[in-house]
Amino acid sequence: MSEKISRRDFLKLTAMGAATTAVMTGCGPMSRYVVRRPYTQMPEYNQTGESTYYASTCRECPAGCGIIVRTREGRALTIEGNPNHPVNRGRLCARGLTAQQGLYNPDRIRAPRFQGRSNPATPGRDLTWDEAVQVVATALQKPPQRIAFLLGLAPDHLYDLVSELTQALGAPPPLRYNALAALEGRTTLIEAVRRLFGSPALPYFDLAQAEVTLAFGADFLQSWLSPVTYTRAYGAMRQGNPRRRGELIVFEPRQSLTAGNADRWVPIVPGSEAHVVLALGQRVAELRGLPVPEAFRAVRPEEAAQVSGLPLEQLETLAQTFATATRPLALVGGSALTQPNGLVTAQAVLALNALVGNLGQPGGVFLSAAAATPTPLAEVKALVERMQAGEVDVLFIHGVNPLFEVPAALGFEAALARVPLVINFAAFPDETALKSDYLFPDHSPLESFGYQRSLAGSDRPAWSALQPVVVPLYDTRATVDVLLAAAQASGQALLPYRDEVDFIQQKILPLINAGGFYTAPEILTFWSRWLQHGGWWTPAAGLPTPTLERLPASFGTLTPPTPPAEGAFYLLTYANHLGDGSGANRPWLQELPDAMTTVTWNSWVEIHPRTAEELGLKDDDVVRITTPYGSVEASVYRYPAIRPDTLAIPFGQGHTALGRWAEGRGCNPAQVLPAGHNAAGDLAFIGTTATLTPTGRRRPLARVESKEGVYGEH
Amino acid sequence: MAEERPAKWGLVVDLDRCTGCNACIVACALENNVPFVGEDEVAYGRALYWIRTQRYWEGEYPEVTPTFQPVMCQQCGNAPCEPVCPVYASVHSEEEQINLAVYNRCVGTRYCANNCPYFARVFNWFDYELPEPMRSYLNPDVTVRRRGVMEKCTFCVQRIVRGRQKARAEGRELRDGEVQPACVQACPAEALVFGDLSDPESRVSQLARSQRRYHLLEALGTLPRVTYLKGVGNHGG
Ligand code: SF4
Ligand code: SF4
Ligand code: SF4
Repeated sequence: MSEKISRRDFLKLTAMGAATTAVMTGCGPMSRYVVRRPYTQMPEYNQTGESTYYASTCRECPAGCGIIVRTREGRALTIEGNPNHPVNRGRLCARGLTAQQGLYNPDRIRAPRFQGRSNPATPGRDLTWDEAVQVVATALQKPPQRIAFLLGLAPDHLYDLVSELTQALGAPPPLRYNALAALEGRTTLIEAVRRLFGSPALPYFDLAQAEVTLAFGADFLQSWLSPVTYTRAYGAMRQGNPRRRGELIVFEPRQSLTAGNADRWVPIVPGSEAHVVLALGQRVAELRGLPVPEAFRAVRPEEAAQVSGLPLEQLETLAQTFATATRPLALVGGSALTQPNGLVTAQAVLALNALVGNLGQPGGVFLSAAAATPTPLAEVKALVERMQAGEVDVLFIHGVNPLFEVPAALGFEAALARVPLVINFAAFPDETALKSDYLFPDHSPLESFGYQRSLAGSDRPAWSALQPVVVPLYDTRATVDVLLAAAQASGQALLPYRDEVDFIQQKILPLINAGGFYTAPEILTFWSRWLQHGGWWTPAAGLPTPTLERLPASFGTLTPPTPPAEGAFYLLTYANHLGDGSGANRPWLQELPDAMTTVTWNSWVEIHPRTAEELGLKDDDVVRITTPYGSVEASVYRYPAIRPDTLAIPFGQGHTALGRWAEGRGCNPAQVLPAGHNAAGDLAFIGTTATLTPTGRRRPLARVESKEGVYGEH
Repeated sequence: MAEERPAKWGLVVDLDRCTGCNACIVACALENNVPFVGEDEVAYGRALYWIRTQRYWEGEYPEVTPTFQPVMCQQCGNAPCEPVCPVYASVHSEEEQINLAVYNRCVGTRYCANNCPYFARVFNWFDYELPEPMRSYLNPDVTVRRRGVMEKCTFCVQRIVRGRQKARAEGRELRDGEVQPACVQACPAEALVFGDLSDPESRVSQLARSQRRYHLLEALGTLPRVTYLKGVGNHGG
């Protein structure tokens, strides 16, 4: 590439600034060719023994925290938080801190490859990128209606590009899915906001300044929306408010990390959340001297008490605590949404906030600045039906592992076998990659350009930037570049972008005049600042205030939960630090004790100690959990903070692929989940019941709560 | 250049903020080249966490709640691990006034671990090889230990040294908050605060005077440099 220039020249050029604007704009995306080399071929700007820091964005979950990567001699060492970033203010979670174990993971896919998927007679072989581009170009010439894209929740710039591409082709828009988003009920939340406030955005809750917070199933300290943002806010809520220490009350059947930190945990019957919120809302309205809105009258308090198992007096005390608080706030997510009543619960909780008048107030509810994309299971289901019916000729997959993340009951695997051409851009040989025809590996996030613009945790309009912090280790290629090259090679003038950087620059161009904390006279200087700061945001905090025109007369039909049959249990799953399961190949995430159980490297079934005693089960006894959709096996962990009629299995383990550290440990609860969805199209599994059968075997769990180790115990 | 005042490094752990999320453990491990040992070795009690979260359950269902307490080396002013080491591998550093582990002196008697009342010291039973190219992320500022060596939290002494050198080169004193161990920097709840206890105005000094303060096993007279602030309400402390 003749345009290659070193970073130092680049900095010199951009430093010339405005005077050379006219010349600069004609140069093309020179920074595209800034190279960062490993220490064996050290770039000249690197000095032995000196660290170089790059600002980028964490892509380990969709939250989009700002990171600063410390590099030396061309190697990425530690991931630190970007102190100025509006999402995380310099802080990180365990997943973000282990991103380098993804970059340097020995099990990465290192080059484009063709796999003989179903036919042993066609052995797999490595390809060149020219061949790969040709394959994609040919695929893009299929009848547009028969092309499908399935993407994950990150990165946003790829989603934006594919949206434009499918539009230009006349193909259906790309679909997004992510297990973490499904488990947190993100789509339901977005739909509830759309119904009440008119725009499909994620809400932003000002937890830091709230004084009494009710949380319905939202595990904001570990997995919900933007865990670092909300953990920071939690710290401030406890000790940062000079007036009083904030109080937290959590309603959920199994104590999550958030409920574990609450002042009060209310273990209501799974599926009865909507009943509780509606009953609370009635009393709160009365106590505040307001007319009770029609929609809240859908249940009588006695009925709610009976369905949820929460005595009327306690309901009354909770209503009084909330109604008389100076800054009351109600949050909703996770187990309160991923159920048939989910959309009712979500609307009712948002309306409860409106009742106490905290919309747009300190300690209240705001709307995120950017629109959010829903990730409904219902649409994945529709895609599966099209695949089954032979209506999909080519399926492109990026950033999602449906054979692991989507409930097996949906039949994705069988449907995938019916698609004649599956092109996967996965960086790792995950379950879905192994069942694809072509692997065209994208760079690791730490080798990539990009942006994340839907930032649920930002208190202001913001875009977060990604840039490579090291030179790509292997023969991988940015998926955006592959698609652009293929679009060009297919002979149609589909997209007006030269390459990925050109695309990103065109997308961020409007930000120059959007009132950010920096600007520049032209895009190249703007671009260098964008990279330097790790994104763009406004100098002052400020988000749109939701406005509620009028409450609907009803939030939807309400189904009371069906109690489990004799000998059966409610079954639920939740995300811990392994998130959607893509983190399972980071050895330090495996070694990290689960916050509540301290178990490492495996799955477990949480059972209330009393229930375990009745069944004659001890810790580490292997049991089989069976639902109408399948069965899984795991060791018992006697968990004191779960309802005696409920079992829980964490999500994220049970990989049959994804490399040496992920494979063959634990079980995948997606194997036993139903494929049903709620009124918003989100996965609905709360209320599923399961039976438990002892297998007679034992398998000790490596728990850290026992400092001496557990092998001595048996 | 101004005469340097020796700092008295200290850490405050606010248990009312700490959520038990364990981000500190990972931040520490990747900064300090702490190896992961795998499922079996964890189950044998040989995990190498330099910082761990002690989780205890309190109360009975449904009033049951976990308490979380991150515990790292308490950097005792009067350290029980020091006098028992036959080869002076567990020593007090003059300059940082903290307890350091000198890996290339350690002969693995493990007397120090037996004598540490806080279970802060961990022993490297094996060489834990990292497959290529994973070694690329090893921090060149921190020794990669091999088997037979005792190791533990150093308050990220490499970061203290780096900060001090930078300040010296710029001819100024260290600013409060300029040096942060990896756990402190990562902690999303801002539960950890690090700084110079000899400066009464530093944030860490101010917090260490809080009415909620206590030290672990205070009665032993180890004079820890880590101060805990009690949780309020029904959790922590
Ligand atoms: S919350 Fe998500 S984006 Fe932020 S550090 Fe953790 S994994 Fe990364
Ligand atoms: S990172 Fe902070 S909040 Fe999380 S366990 Fe450690 S000290 Fe507690
Ligand atoms: S906590 Fe233990 S290892 Fe640390 S100085 Fe005290 S005795 Fe030594």
